[in-house]
Amino acid sequence: MNSEDIKSTVKKFILSEYLPGEDPAALTDTTPLVTTGILDSIAVLKVVTFLENEFGIVIQPHEAVVENLNTLSDIDRFVISKQA
Amino acid sequence: MLAETYKRRDVTTVVPVAEEAVLRFSASYLSRSAQFLAIFAQFALIVVAIHSWQLETQLLDRLMWLALVGFVIHHFLPAGLRLPFFAILSLVAVITGLGHLGPNVGVAWLTGKITTSGLLYHLVPGLAVIGIGLVLIGICHLPIRFGARVGLLAVAGVGLAFLRGHSQWFPDVTDMWVILGSMFMFRLMSYLYDLRHQTAPFSPSRAVSYFFLLPNVCFPLFPVVDYKTFCSTYYNEDWPRVYQTGLKWMFRGIFQLLLYRIVYEYAPLDVSRLTSALDAAGFMLGMFLLYLRVSGTFHLIVGLLHMFGFNLPETHHLYYLATSFTDFWRRINIYWKDFVMKLFFYPTHFKLRRMGTLWAMSVATMVTFLATWLLHSWQWFWIRGKLLFDWKDFSFWMILAVLVLVTAIYETTRGRRRALAPSHFTVRARLMFGLQASAVFCGMCILWAYWSCQSWSEFQSLMDTASKPTWREIAIVFVVLALVCVCGMLWGQSSRETSEGRGTQASGTPFHFWRSTVAVTVGAICLVAGPSVATWTLPGTKDLIARLHGDVLNAHDLALQRRGYYEELDLGRMDDWRCHDAQEPEGWNAGRKIFYRERSDFLMKEIVPSVSTILGGTPVTSNSLGMRDREYQKLKPPNTYRIVLLGVSHDVGTGVKDNQTYENLVEDRLNRHCPDTHYARYEILNMSTGADCILQMLLRLERTGFDLQPNAAMMSVAAVDQQFLVEYLRKCLTHGIELPRTYREFLDGITRKAGVNGQMPDAAIERRLRRYVSEIQEWVFRRFAQQCTQRGIHPLLIYRPAPMDFGGVEPASRRETIRLARAAGLEVIDLSPAFDSVTDRNRLIVAKWDEHTNELGHRLLADKLYHSLVPLLFPVSSLPQVSHFQTP
Repeated sequence: MNSEDIKSTVKKFILSEYLPGEDPAALTDTTPLVTTGILDSIAVLKVVTFLENEFGIVIQPHEAVVENLNTLSDIDRFVISKQA
Repeated sequence: MLAETYKRRDVTTVVPVAEEAVLRFSASYLSRSAQFLAIFAQFALIVVAIHSWQLETQLLDRLMWLALVGFVIHHFLPAGLRLPFFAILSLVAVITGLGHLGPNVGVAWLTGKITTSGLLYHLVPGLAVIGIGLVLIGICHLPIRFGARVGLLAVAGVGLAFLRGHSQWFPDVTDMWVILGSMFMFRLMSYLYDLRHQTAPFSPSRAVSYFFLLPNVCFPLFPVVDYKTFCSTYYNEDWPRVYQTGLKWMFRGIFQLLLYRIVYEYAPLDVSRLTSALDAAGFMLGMFLLYLRVSGTFHLIVGLLHMFGFNLPETHHLYYLATSFTDFWRRINIYWKDFVMKLFFYPTHFKLRRMGTLWAMSVATMVTFLATWLLHSWQWFWIRGKLLFDWKDFSFWMILAVLVLVTAIYETTRGRRRALAPSHFTVRARLMFGLQASAVFCGMCILWAYWSCQSWSEFQSLMDTASKPTWREIAIVFVVLALVCVCGMLWGQSSRETSEGRGTQASGTPFHFWRSTVAVTVGAICLVAGPSVATWTLPGTKDLIARLHGDVLNAHDLALQRRGYYEELDLGRMDDWRCHDAQEPEGWNAGRKIFYRERSDFLMKEIVPSVSTILGGTPVTSNSLGMRDREYQKLKPPNTYRIVLLGVSHDVGTGVKDNQTYENLVEDRLNRHCPDTHYARYEILNMSTGADCILQMLLRLERTGFDLQPNAAMMSVAAVDQQFLVEYLRKCLTHGIELPRTYREFLDGITRKAGVNGQMPDAAIERRLRRYVSEIQEWVFRRFAQQCTQRGIHPLLIYRPAPMDFGGVEPASRRETIRLARAAGLEVIDLSPAFDSVTDRNRLIVAKWDEHTNELGHRLLADKLYHSLVPLLFPVSSLPQVSHFQTP
């Protein structure tokens, strides 16, 4: 799965779970998710579970942090690094 | 840059383009210089505002000046030297702060007033903290297994905790424990976590800067800064933006601290004085708003760190407008939430994920709140020196845990309204935010009041008061909640979820430097100049501003020394560390048990004859008749005019020397001027006893005062003495003290009417008795007048103003007391104008922790009393017109 596929998959998940009715174009690769409260601490856990199931990676508690999950680009980079 | 310009432009335009580049550079240089000057000016204004409002401690005042100078040097240093400089500055602050090393100590050493060894002695506490701290940091980096390092730190922690519990063994460094604890008790955990996972860079200057953070020496209650965030946010944006954000937050912090003072001074925070459901609502609201002090100081702290490049995120975010209990937990003390999430919630949740999301989340939430309770007790231990394990704190955290968990489960299963931009919320959604915000606000007010009440019975009494509201009171409460609702509609959806990360929320938003500069500058100028302008244009605001200046306990807290978890951890009310400030220094009232002894009868206590000891930090002596006074014969000598004075601790003269009490000053002056030629000598015998109520004063006069053959009797009363009356009657009831025969019928009638008995909670008894205070006063005044007149004694009532009118109740209480006294046929000497010349009433109290009238207050009272007393007792005399007591 390439970078665009990862971002697209995660974007679809976030739009359907947390931002129903929002314009998909408004959610860009650099839209802050955690620091603006779109993903709160509980939502982060759901995203982590989704990433683990969807991309076959194992995430540690200290990795569920804003640096790895704040934007779609961050998530993409994180998933690729875990897969590597 | 010039080379690039060459590439893009024609060769013929070389000279103009070079000029343009120079101009651009000059403009940029000027712009940056102007920005720095604007930042410096704002910072200086904020330092002056803190100084002018006497915010927090004197130590903060000094630290802010140090920080201002340090800021300029830090800014102009090369980037590589800035962090080491900050580390050194922080260490200097620790040494000077803990050693109380101000400029005066330096001057005293230079002028030979203190020896070099005396100066070095001041360095001991600070050096001890630094030494212990460096050892702890060193253990973190020992080249041994991580588990072994944690074990070693645990052993060191237990050892230090043991020493903290026995801090009296090291009297020279008592102050250091509080700061040592606040620096290491939580930050060490965060540091170890990041060290374990190598999520941040490590170096000596980073470690020293992180643990000995510059403002920490002034604030034992300090935000739990995350190490990784501390490192990753260091100059992560352009400096004007970082500094300006810090200035904005410092201003916000000052504003919140002043709001806190207003709440603290004016909210009805004493349960026993609440008389209506509206009062009860005011108490709940006031208690919740007292948290402004914590958020205010945290804003000040983080703002100050911005001035040294640490672009840390917000610590609190509109927490009074939280739209759910989970949201509240996310917005209030964000650093703490992130700390426990990182160390407890996520690890627990990840371990239990196989149980299913909801179960894992539930267990992890309960573990997190249990850890929060334990860590708050741990914090309490380091700051107060004793453990805090009581059911009230435990139940508060568990109730909050359940509320947060329920809303978290709801949000997990039903979802929560989110939008990419606030404008995407419909009016209906905003209305829901508003309603939710007011509901959460209401719930948190009740829960916070429960946490802050002293006992279960006090909370019961609060609920009892709140249980019978009138329609008007309900309407007022609804108006307040509607206001919260409107604010919730406007700002309730705003979110600031985490303190971690590379930057702040602000980084994603446009930044208007000059707009922010103007706002902070105007605000700071208003804070600095506002009081002078207000008192000049509106003289009525003089008292308000005087009360908001300085930091003293209000009347209730002076009595209780207790105001809830955060208030008690607040060490600002002392000369150095706030905790001790709320408590009097050791030995301040060492002689209380020597000077007073208990009695089992209605008088309850008396002064022990012929003793010398310390009261209110001052030597006191009692005479052989059991009075805080000079020696007198029991039988009145011939040609002597004798007055007996009945009063309380202010009249005893607690906190002033034997010859400085107002009654001794008046006595001396009477003997100097001899206003009546019939008498060769004048005596004022001070029968006052600490915390006497008017019933005890009257009985003391009847039992022993009349035997002294006085010509006149003065009963000294004040507004706050009413509290003594209800407390005294409550004690009589709960201790089963027998009433004097001649008082029994009247007082039994009062207790019957009030519907009180000795089995009821103390707060309930006092609250119910309060409405009969006027009736009791009237009875006492009539009996006082009657008993004196029957014996040919001149009865007088003195109204003595309190040095500080804490609750703003004095004018009403004074009017009522004087009315009752006059109705009872008493002549009244109102001493209230005695203090009119003093704008800042802080100048009239003995110390911040002791509200007794000081020497200046006694002189002013004596002056006023003498001028009022002589015409009443000796109408034919002529008074000298010049004050003898108000010496400059």
